[in-house]
Amino acid sequence: MPMRPNEIALFEHKARQIRATSVQMAHDAGIGHVGSALSCVEALLALFYHWLRLTPGNIGSVERDRFILSKGHACASLYSILADRGFFPRQWLHRYGEMDGPLPDHPCKHALPLLECPTGSLGHGLGVATGMLYGLRLRGVPARTAVLMGDGECNEGSVWESAMFAAAQGLDNLLVLVDENGIQAVGRSAEIMGHTSLEEKFRAFGWGACSVEGNHLPSVLAALDRFPLENGKPSAVILRTTKGAGVSFMEDQVLWHYRVPSDEDLRNSLRELRAAPLHLCESA
Amino acid sequence: MKLAFVEKLSELATQDWRIVLLTGDLGFQIFDGFRTEHGARYVNVGVAEAQMICMAAGLAHEGFRPFAYSIASFVTARCYEQVKLSVAYPGLPVVIVGAGGGYAYGASGVTHHAGDDLALMRIIPKMTVVAPADASEARQLLPQVLDLDGPCYFRIGRGCEPQYSVKAPCVLGQGRLLFDGEDVAVLGTGEVGYEVFSAVQKLREHGIFPVAYQFHTVSPLDNDVLEALATGVSTIIIAEEHVDAGGFASAVREWLSKRNHSTRVIGLGVPDLLPLGNPTQSEIRSRYGFDSESIAAAVVRSLDLSRRHFWHSTLHHGRNRVSC
Repeated sequence: MPMRPNEIALFEHKARQIRATSVQMAHDAGIGHVGSALSCVEALLALFYHWLRLTPGNIGSVERDRFILSKGHACASLYSILADRGFFPRQWLHRYGEMDGPLPDHPCKHALPLLECPTGSLGHGLGVATGMLYGLRLRGVPARTAVLMGDGECNEGSVWESAMFAAAQGLDNLLVLVDENGIQAVGRSAEIMGHTSLEEKFRAFGWGACSVEGNHLPSVLAALDRFPLENGKPSAVILRTTKGAGVSFMEDQVLWHYRVPSDEDLRNSLRELRAAPLHLCESA
Repeated sequence: MKLAFVEKLSELATQDWRIVLLTGDLGFQIFDGFRTEHGARYVNVGVAEAQMICMAAGLAHEGFRPFAYSIASFVTARCYEQVKLSVAYPGLPVVIVGAGGGYAYGASGVTHHAGDDLALMRIIPKMTVVAPADASEARQLLPQVLDLDGPCYFRIGRGCEPQYSVKAPCVLGQGRLLFDGEDVAVLGTGEVGYEVFSAVQKLREHGIFPVAYQFHTVSPLDNDVLEALATGVSTIIIAEEHVDAGGFASAVREWLSKRNHSTRVIGLGVPDLLPLGNPTQSEIRSRYGFDSESIAAAVVRSLDLSRRHFWHSTLHHGRNRVSC
């Protein structure tokens, strides 16, 4: 369903707020990967505010939809959205990266049990999702599973083992979002992958696939509303995004894969984003 | 053992909906019965071990008890990170089944050798590591690993292993007494348990009575049996189809050392090398000294040595006494 103008405005503000929160968390915790967290904000908003049948109320239910952040290093924006959706108190965001805390810099199921699985090493999430969906099918449960991956993550051979399996088994309750921000840890993804198309790769592996502007929320929502992209096939939505999206000096910079925002970086980011971090708002 | 494993698993699966059998495109025809009986609970994932292990993790997350089967070298080393991070890190009850552990596929060459499987699996925290000797032990252990609340590595043979018959039942986590005895202990694990059994049987005919145990469970180790042996015998001889480093003998050495026991351990296995030239399993056992003849010879040597030690220490002790 197309978004109404007031909804678009609301979510544009929400996206800026999630970005401000993520930069603040990275600054306070002294953790990098902020560029990766910023590029997938619209994907996470579309999932958690629209597509996923997953709420704090149904988290223990077998019927819930499952979500795996397979590019686990981008977890600052996931934590922000989970807090905003009420999965845990906003004040926890102060504890990002804290030793023995609930929000480590790569998601840990022991620290935050509501997660489906721990992630951080790339190329695991899709395979785990296929197992979940195969099991759900055996049990006759129609729940869906979404996996958010990075384009750099798609370098991993295991991703394609899983992609082949998902198509062979016709796991049409599976949605993959690839955050194609074009930059991985130390280089440009296109150069490393030989300037080939992820959409074509997924199609060749037997998936329904499409590409959309990944930092434009209405486009992402429109793609998710077409799920499954093809009947009887798993769906891959390739999100053409910008690393560090929303903060001009972080955008499309390899440097911002690892760089930790300085005090000045934080001030400039918040000024550009025109939003206060969730956990520093009065209502937090 | 392979057939016994799949027949028992199929039998268990009839009563337990949680059992799902995954294979990495191996086990030609041996799973036909399971597939006929349990349909979609058999999955050939393809030649894709990483996918098989991650899928197993996902199934376990949804309440299933997946068994992920392949040749031991492929299901351990090739997908090690998937085992470590997707299965063991969240503590999921996946049983990783390594067929032809050790050097069962010796003649197929180094690519098919798994002389490091016990080491790789036992250093993963909370991983139960099981290596039955024969079909009977596999049958007895299988229902027990189903009750585990975490991951398990289950090493099985290639097929047609000789069987032994002993009174003691096979209890997960406990050493299985093969022969009671004294002075020297001989411990085996996996199929080498039979070599230990044969060696001690022969020794007993010659009036030598070492105590012998089959350690079908390599991790966790049986504390009670090891404590009794550490204080009750002079030498523990350990035979395993594995490289010297990191395996069962290594585990026992670590165990003794942590508890300040000085009991001598003699490890019989493959030294620090890759067995080139495609030797058969039995050739590897005799070449590197862990077939039954070699095990018996090691016991005899250790007895000679301990007697010499006895005389040396008595003389030395006597001289000290005189000098005082």
